[in-house]
Amino acid sequence: MSPGIQLRWTLSRETLSASTEQQLLYVLIDATPYGLPSALPTLPLNLCLVLDRSSSMRGERLMQVKEATNRIIDQLGPDDHFALITFNDRAEVVVSAQRVRNKADIKHLVGSIQAIGGTEMATGMALALQELQRTTLRRSISRLLLLTDGRTYGDEGRCVEIARRLQSRDIGLTALGIGTEWNEDLLETMAARENSRAHYITSVQEITQVFMDELQRLHSIFAQNVQLVAEIRPGGLVRSLDRVRPYMATVPITEDRELCWNGKLGDWPNNDPQTFLLELVVPPMGVGEHPLLRLTLRYDLPGVNIQNQVSEAVLRVAVLPEGTAAYEVDATVKHWLERLVAYRLQVGAWQDVEAGRIEEATRRLQMAGTRLFEAGEVDLARTVQDEATRLLRSGHTSDEGRKRIKYGTRGLMGKSDIRKEREA
Amino acid sequence: MITLARREALMQTCPNCHASQLDGAIFCSECGASLLARKSGKETTAALRQRQQVDLPEQPRVVAAPPVSAKVGRSIMLVVLNSGRRMTLDTGEDILIGRKDNARGIFPDVDLGLDGGYDAGVSRRHAIISFQQGICVLQDLNSANGTFINATRIDPHVAFPLHDGDELTFGTLILRIEFH
Repeated sequence: MSPGIQLRWTLSRETLSASTEQQLLYVLIDATPYGLPSALPTLPLNLCLVLDRSSSMRGERLMQVKEATNRIIDQLGPDDHFALITFNDRAEVVVSAQRVRNKADIKHLVGSIQAIGGTEMATGMALALQELQRTTLRRSISRLLLLTDGRTYGDEGRCVEIARRLQSRDIGLTALGIGTEWNEDLLETMAARENSRAHYITSVQEITQVFMDELQRLHSIFAQNVQLVAEIRPGGLVRSLDRVRPYMATVPITEDRELCWNGKLGDWPNNDPQTFLLELVVPPMGVGEHPLLRLTLRYDLPGVNIQNQVSEAVLRVAVLPEGTAAYEVDATVKHWLERLVAYRLQVGAWQDVEAGRIEEATRRLQMAGTRLFEAGEVDLARTVQDEATRLLRSGHTSDEGRKRIKYGTRGLMGKSDIRKEREA
Repeated sequence: MITLARREALMQTCPNCHASQLDGAIFCSECGASLLARKSGKETTAALRQRQQVDLPEQPRVVAAPPVSAKVGRSIMLVVLNSGRRMTLDTGEDILIGRKDNARGIFPDVDLGLDGGYDAGVSRRHAIISFQQGICVLQDLNSANGTFINATRIDPHVAFPLHDGDELTFGTLILRIEFH
């Protein structure tokens, strides 16, 4: 069987009532890889680490980062390329882009890194881009892995601009923040494109694990240039597309031609299933069974040398006479939607805080807490509630609470969350 | 009322923020409140109950015609959502909700100090649940951080009717009331 990705879907309601008005329908899409050989040849990696070595990294943090870096070097193969940049007030190339042949020499260079000075990120990013472009691998996975514990001063715009340049050249960005001081807006803005993500490391002990997970993800990428195309019947709209598993992320969609929306999903690691939630505005329809939506997933499978693969599905919906359709909502759709709503509410709450709308922000956080309770995310709900209380009392939120909520609602924190997802 | 019902069959109004929402929406796109009518004991907000609240004259001190769903049986149950603690309370008596304070001699019937009430901004004498002609009502006792029914803040010293499944927030601590 030739390999591919299978699409399955669940509608929020199995049947609709005949109506002269538009209705809202949610579609949960499960996309599952199949037919892949169990051990895919891994693509060579072109990896560049950009590490903060400002004085706040001194001690345990830097030690753990060096340890984690050495573990990455251990895991790289002879075809992988590796480069290492550090930055404080200025940036320097510690290891220039090279095939990982002499691991001991590279590790020696890693060992020489010292923490001192301030944080100036953009120059480090610019050097990294340069190093990543030195290699001439035809098919490879290029990635910049940035780790910082602080804020950069005055060059935020340049950081974002360099991030965009990387992304437009098919280089993914993983931005890792450690501690509570780093500028999450900046890291998130930099990572707000396909193949990029920001991640929050709560304690230094996690650094090695996060680096290893990231490397494992990169080594396991089996599909690239993945896009989901949704074509709806006339009169309808696709309102939003969000990835809900393995972690929450809004997928920007554009109406490429009339009634046809396109969402770019980027690389697909781990050949684990992914789940998406689509919000549709359904046009008025008469009684009967109607085709509603054509879903097309396009992707390349570089490991088996297959390009431009397509999986297709046509969703049909049954419309019953008014008053005869039972109004029953699918529990799984509701569960993921509830978590998505919580995620969106907290995004809105932080915007409210920024704009000084404290009451509005508190209300959103409280509602986010309610949604999370109902979705069974009790610990996270409690964190959200504590932060709402703090905000109500003092007009401020705590840095740590905010980061926990931001990353917790996306499912990007802690193993317990992943376990819960698997059980769900 | 018929026109109202007809209009609602096509569009729905969020019980929490009154935003217009398309039929089929599960959560309000504006405020995130649940738009599902309560079908099981798990749900907390219900459009039906809210609509009745909206229809009531402004700030009724005593509620006249009892809405059917507000009729209470022999007991009510309060569920603290974060701790899962459930309390069964007899109807008929006034129920003081707050935090115990031995020094000041305040011993509320429902002591939310046990559920992190201090941190959640629950006042010592926060609110009172009472029964007026068989209807369960809630009054905020001018608490510092407020009382909310289904996320809508209620004015102090005004009795608001409660319904099975309502979500009550004291400060930021959320409870659900169930009638049995």
